Amino acid sequence: MLEMIDICKVYRTDLVQTHALRDFSLSVQEGEFVTITGPSGCGKTTFLNIAGLLETYTSGSYQLDGVEVSQLNDFKRARLRNEKIGFIFQSFNLMPDLNLFDNVDVPLRYRGLKASERKPLIEKALESVGLAGRMKHLPSQLSGGQQQRVAIARALVGSPRFLLADEPTGNLDSNTARGVMELLQEINELGTTIVMVTHDQELARESRRNIHILDGQIHEENGRGEMSSSASAVA
Amino acid sequence: MEIGPIFRALLRNKLGALLIALQIAFTMTVIINAVFIINERNRLMARPSGLDESNLFHITVIGFGDDYNEEIVAADDLAMLRQTPGIVDATVINAIPVSGGGSSTGVRLINDETSPSTGTAIYRLDEHGLNTLNLDLIAGENFTATDMRLRYESGPTEADKAVVTRALVESLFDGMAPADVLGEVMYMPGGDVVQIVGVVDRLQAPWPTSQLVERSMLVPENYIDSFSRYMIRTEPGQRDRMMAEVERMLVERGQDRVVRDMEAMEVTRANTYRVDSALTTILRVVVATLIVINCMGIVGLAVFSINRRKKQIGTRRALGATRPEILRYFLLENLFITIAGVALGAVLTIALSIVLTTNFNMPTMAWYYTPLGALLLILVGQLSALGPSARAAGTEPAIATRSV
Repeated sequence: MLEMIDICKVYRTDLVQTHALRDFSLSVQEGEFVTITGPSGCGKTTFLNIAGLLETYTSGSYQLDGVEVSQLNDFKRARLRNEKIGFIFQSFNLMPDLNLFDNVDVPLRYRGLKASERKPLIEKALESVGLAGRMKHLPSQLSGGQQQRVAIARALVGSPRFLLADEPTGNLDSNTARGVMELLQEINELGTTIVMVTHDQELARESRRNIHILDGQIHEENGRGEMSSSASAVA
Repeated sequence: MEIGPIFRALLRNKLGALLIALQIAFTMTVIINAVFIINERNRLMARPSGLDESNLFHITVIGFGDDYNEEIVAADDLAMLRQTPGIVDATVINAIPVSGGGSSTGVRLINDETSPSTGTAIYRLDEHGLNTLNLDLIAGENFTATDMRLRYESGPTEADKAVVTRALVESLFDGMAPADVLGEVMYMPGGDVVQIVGVVDRLQAPWPTSQLVERSMLVPENYIDSFSRYMIRTEPGQRDRMMAEVERMLVERGQDRVVRDMEAMEVTRANTYRVDSALTTILRVVVATLIVINCMGIVGLAVFSINRRKKQIGTRRALGATRPEILRYFLLENLFITIAGVALGAVLTIALSIVLTTNFNMPTMAWYYTPLGALLLILVGQLSALGPSARAAGTEPAIATRSV
């Protein structure tokens, strides 16, 4: 599903070079639920951005669902994001001026579907997160947990094979966070591959596979029944 | 296309959009009416006078000596001028066309003082007048030297022959061809009879803003009033040289008179239309300024709106929007605002046009001004929004995951 080999990401200014990711190699199989942890500035977001085709990498190889993404131009990357990837953001990133229906509709519009094709998909997605009765509400009329559910519905509405979650519970209280996690687990159990960046060690421990990043490299990996050092993980 | 969501989002966040729409409406109202006024003035200024303006100039001779005989002096002056190489012809004339000052009268087809009269400018000139002014005689004949008479300030009677303009014929003789009115008579105030002997295509009256500007009549008279005004036509390209020479010759011819007010017809026209010309210049500046302000307003709102929604744009990009789709989104948003402004502007434009027509005696604005103005404003709006929208389209999707 996701295959990164020796990915490097270097941010350059006139004076400084910052290595956000160094020889980062990771393979995620279809149906996995992987959590990514690490301290601030370790490269989690850079990994997420590269995995989600939100930014390019300096060197290495990345295949998403069998497609080598380095060869894709901006247009094709956008189309691939739309078709293959669902995003869940820490701050929900809902459009404040759009109601829930229109918010969930956003990725479908970029897929070129007709209104009659989009409507049942949107209703089903909102129904799956328990917000079918609030389609005409604005995000500001919802609680944080409900807003994140809308964001999850938006991420799922196009039936992506791959869900990228960036601290999805970071702005939620523990009870609400628990509900969101349960929802994500249900989604994963239905077959969607999930990679989730989190600071929450407790959530990470519960996941079947956790990758710990330090200084742009995989420092530690738990899961798949084994724990390995950074050297073996990278290799 | 995201027409529905854009429209609904605008309705929920309408203050900025409303202000820009009002600005567009105001701009459109002023611009269209200003352009109409400019075009109307230009049309008035561009009307042909019927004269060979580029080769004509006029000069005034004022006598002051006790023995000064205007009739003899004028005859001698004109004879000299007509023999001068470089001069095509010269005439004495009582008023200068398109100069702002002249004589008018009312003529009737029936000799009844109570019946309505038709206003017309009256030019008193000699048999060289038509050739000097280079008028296009479309029917009848010119005056002859024997037709000429002298007219004094309190002249009791009028000349008995006249050449009239086509416009005067159309006013007096509904539907009759110029050739058919030859020999017809007109009655002057007081009952004097004037027979039409010729019709010229065009000769404007001295007053360009008057309703009777195209209605003129020419009579074979030398108006004796202590000063003589000569109109002189030169060979093409000789005007400026001949102006200096004519002035010198006239000054050298006598000590008991003043030679003054020499002016090329083109200058006379420019002076007459100076206010109109200044008005059109001012209005052009107003139109240009308003368009620039309008563009700045649209650019300002677009930049503000885009900066405020940077993260939203990044999120849209993350969710699969391509750069052209982001560009289209913001151009569409701008289009909606502009259309709202243009719709209101169309109503205000027509309202202002009605006010101007009703209160300032302006002609009715042609129907196409409003749609053309609307299209222009929409085009200007889209061009103004293009830069900021293109910048928005360049937003990197990675901004969606940034915390600020």
